[in-house]
Amino acid sequence: MKKRAIAAFMAAAVAASALTGCQSSKPAETTAAETTAAETTVAETTAAETTEAEKEADKPFEGTTLNVMLAYGGADASFDAFTEKTGIKVEYVEISTGKALAQLQAENGNTTADVWFGGGVDSYISAKELGYLEQYESPEAEAINPAYRDKDGYWTGLALVPAGFLVNNDVLKEKNLEVPKTWEDLTKPEYKGEIIMASPAISGTQYAILNGTLQAYGEEKGWEVWKGINENVDFYAQGGGEPGPKCAAGEFGIAVLAMTGGTFAMEDEYPVTAVYPEDMIPWTPAPIAIFKSSENKDAAKVFVDYYLSKEGQEALREADARVMARGDVDVPAEIGNVDSSKLIDQDVALFGSQREELLEKWEALAGDKDSK
Amino acid sequence: MTTNRKSRYLAAELADRLILAALLAGIGMFIIYPICSVVVTSFFKDGHFTLEYYQALFTAKSIKLIKNSLKVAVLSSVLTTGFAFFLSLAVFAAKGKRKQFIRNSLVFTMISPPFVSSLAYIMLFGRRGLVTYQLLGLSVNPYGWHGVVILQVIGSISFATLMLSTSFDHLDRRLILASRDLGATTTETLWNVILPMVRPGILSVLFMLFTMNLADFGTPVVIGGSFKTLATEAYLQVISSSKLGKASAISVFMVPAAVLAFFFYYRAMKANEKSTGSDRADAEDSDAFTLNGPAGVMTWTITIVFYVIMLLKYGNIFLSAVSNSASGSLKFTLEYFGKLPRSQWSSFQHSLIYSCIAALAASLMGILLSYYTHRRKLKGMRSAEFLASLPYIIPGTFYGLGYVAAFSHKPFYIRGTAAIIILNLAFRQISLTNKSANAMFSGINRKIEEAARDLGASRLNILFGIILPLMKPAFITGFISIFTSCMTSVGAIIFLISPGKNVASAELFQSIENGRYGVASVQAVVIILATLGINLAFMSMLKLSKRGGK
Repeated sequence: MKKRAIAAFMAAAVAASALTGCQSSKPAETTAAETTAAETTVAETTAAETTEAEKEADKPFEGTTLNVMLAYGGADASFDAFTEKTGIKVEYVEISTGKALAQLQAENGNTTADVWFGGGVDSYISAKELGYLEQYESPEAEAINPAYRDKDGYWTGLALVPAGFLVNNDVLKEKNLEVPKTWEDLTKPEYKGEIIMASPAISGTQYAILNGTLQAYGEEKGWEVWKGINENVDFYAQGGGEPGPKCAAGEFGIAVLAMTGGTFAMEDEYPVTAVYPEDMIPWTPAPIAIFKSSENKDAAKVFVDYYLSKEGQEALREADARVMARGDVDVPAEIGNVDSSKLIDQDVALFGSQREELLEKWEALAGDKDSK
Repeated sequence: MTTNRKSRYLAAELADRLILAALLAGIGMFIIYPICSVVVTSFFKDGHFTLEYYQALFTAKSIKLIKNSLKVAVLSSVLTTGFAFFLSLAVFAAKGKRKQFIRNSLVFTMISPPFVSSLAYIMLFGRRGLVTYQLLGLSVNPYGWHGVVILQVIGSISFATLMLSTSFDHLDRRLILASRDLGATTTETLWNVILPMVRPGILSVLFMLFTMNLADFGTPVVIGGSFKTLATEAYLQVISSSKLGKASAISVFMVPAAVLAFFFYYRAMKANEKSTGSDRADAEDSDAFTLNGPAGVMTWTITIVFYVIMLLKYGNIFLSAVSNSASGSLKFTLEYFGKLPRSQWSSFQHSLIYSCIAALAASLMGILLSYYTHRRKLKGMRSAEFLASLPYIIPGTFYGLGYVAAFSHKPFYIRGTAAIIILNLAFRQISLTNKSANAMFSGINRKIEEAARDLGASRLNILFGIILPLMKPAFITGFISIFTSCMTSVGAIIFLISPGKNVASAELFQSIENGRYGVASVQAVVIILATLGINLAFMSMLKLSKRGGK
């Protein structure tokens, strides 16, 4: 008898958890809805000076929710301001663009997301070719250098991510090493075993570094330089986020990575210094795009317009200090002095078309450290 | 029999068949269909049918990967099983409070959030590790296959021990007492009496560990350095994009090794079934087994080493959550708590609920599967059992992508729901309880069920009245292992989460990917404490009811 009671209890527990399961997501959503409703009412009362009609026109999409696939560290801090301005709620999932692309392929482009925000441009180029992106040329895009956006209008750069070095001062001092100044410096034999960088097959930034430097040096010299650098590397990290923390922890003396606000912020906490290479600075655009399968394309367009506008770009820059794509937005002080004349004059479209060939050559060169 | 009784009997028989049908349908729909959906991609490149991805597998590089994978999987599983055996002995030989303490420690240390352990290891034993560099002045390279093996062992030892000690709990004490009466030393008793009796348990654990470690990509990715296995290669092909087909082919390639392992496992289990079948007497605390001699020394040494390592590991994780050791000195800080993502609380609730439901369902299904396969010996069930093990054999990423591919179109459109996550979690873990139930069943006498049949009990009666109660220990250990696994696993569900339906383990993964190690430590601590709480609550709840039932 007792055993039946236990069995019944278990069944009830499962049923109860199933019911609460269905419900628990609702409280979270309703609280989010309540807070956004509160925010919008505050915004509305402050804008009460404007006429009713203007108010209505301001927020035609109020109440819509956009799903964002996010690969831009820190950007989520800027979403609340967007919601306040437009009434459009933003929900997001952080997922690296490589994984996102794999997911898109598995579901044949039928994604639940509306907007793709940040990440590796090569994934965007692949996605465009596979037909997953919606073509949209925002009126705001005119203020952005054509080199930073897709010529057919499928994606637009939000910011430029320059690449450089992060050095651990303690390690360098201990091993009596100098701070590297150029990419060729990295080939010096004294740096053997002290350099860490991500695999270009996985990290969009690293791929940009590889492709960019090859474009700048020319193929022959470029591959020679990389061969030299490869000698000094023990293994390649399997994620763009690894080299920085590992260098900060003292595991390696020199990290090659993206120079974002976060990178520079590490200087405050760790014995590290962020250094821009003096000969050439590779960079990659962090793009934004709308998915073809999105059911909220109009709201998505508002979102894209905002983040390409001066207001949106400045808000984004506040959230994470980067060189913004728009010409009329200042470079933030936190990321040091980027000598924009040293930014490589590169053709971003080649990032996509050359990818397979380039990665094959890379595999031949660094294969046994990238995958033994 | 009156008509009433007869119709009740028939209804019960029908219900029994329906349960079986539902189980099989579940396996078909939620294991086979998704896996097929993703395997299919390995046969197509740009829309044409091709075997090119498979041909590419027969290169020298792939062979090297296969060797690496096997080397690590075999080493880890054998070492872990060995240590687990001695730890189980420690549990077995301990009495009362001590036994409880070791048991609880095992439940606690089973909770191992992904990546954080590898980070703790690097922090402790890396080039500038707290132990190796600061304490011992060595600059050791932690990366490589040895790091992978060590971490896999540390990560799975608690789980293996819990699984194995279920077998120990049901040893026939009388045989041990008899052996001692006849003058056998501890070592002799161990070797000749105990070992054969727990063989099914050892085999189950060995098989589970082998397949788990073969499919593990998380550990080698962080600590492997340039050492790669099939699983990491498949994972990397997926995330470096456009190579879904190639990655699927690699995953499929891992299946033969697992099939072989499964085959040996089956043979060994069968051989065991023939030798046991006698009654067993339940354990009495007063007949506690005393451990002397070399066996005793081994056991206690291993136990102590276990505790030291676990203290270091968890101490490190907890410390990282509240401190910043950047500039060489330790500063306590709560800053990471402020940097948690907005969705942290709701993700956490989701984790708890989804894992709970999945664990209950999976545990039950595992036992049912074992019952229908081994007790009822129905035709074809063995294949069902193998198929149910498939999700464990392929890397989690594949299983997740399978769900994406299978359930993104009508009429099966459940993407973006909680259901898809729960189903994925549940069906992946059936294997766990299934294997430990197998081990338990081989120690239980068939005659009980036969007697019940003779007395006119319907199959349903037998299921609910005899089998399930007997399987309670397997159900409990199953639930705890599965719940813990669900709370910490991330490989499969990373593709199934959607905004508003995120889970704690995925958020942890995202923190790590972005280098936010401090925040990751906090998230790990939260996951650990919550999982521990639920596990202990569940265990004590069932223990109380057990006493009441008697």
